[in-house]
Amino acid sequence: MAWFSLIIAGVFEAFGVAMISRLRRKRNWQTVVLLIFGFGISLALLGYSLRFVAMGTGYAIWTGIGVVGGTFVGMVFYGESRDWRRLAFIALILFSTIGLKLVS
Amino acid sequence: MNRSWLRVFVAAFLEVIWVIGLAHAYDIWTWIGTIIALIISNYLMITAGQILPAGTVYAVFVGLGTSGTVISELLFFGEPFKWERIILISLLLIGVIGLKVITGNKHEKGAES
Repeated sequence: MAWFSLIIAGVFEAFGVAMISRLRRKRNWQTVVLLIFGFGISLALLGYSLRFVAMGTGYAIWTGIGVVGGTFVGMVFYGESRDWRRLAFIALILFSTIGLKLVS
Repeated sequence: MNRSWLRVFVAAFLEVIWVIGLAHAYDIWTWIGTIIALIISNYLMITAGQILPAGTVYAVFVGLGTSGTVISELLFFGEPFKWERIILISLLLIGVIGLKVITGNKHEKGAES
């Protein structure tokens, strides 16, 4: 459960960051609400996970999933580059996350 | 030392503080401290990211934040040292920094942690 909530925390982090970008294009209160919601849920879930998962491991995975999520959104919705190096770094992050789960 | 980079270093330090807080806060005061560190850390990062290249700032920040949390848990919280864990965290960090650096500094993403 702690690992699951850690992954979801990373996804909400990516969502929060996406709302920051959206706020730059469109300044409206709905985006502000979504932004606070995204980071709020992300931090609450991270806080829960860190009570069970080692701090350094949990923090690294949260950051990693956040960045992978943000890159994925950029590739799928904003037509950002699907350069093989970006895909390789995404694979490296996912591989390390699974590895950390296995050695914990 | 450029003042904006100093912001990044202070932000990373406070990032480690709030992560420790999320993991270990036990009363109202430690929670308040955690939230204050979180807010100041993000404020400093966002303002630094507006002046310096945001991708580079984020890469430095996340490198410092991750090493800081790992070192703190080993030094202060009695987490046992495991090679496989350190190696995997380092690989993960290479992935994060790599993505941020090639995604480039043209996007201002990643000002948040």
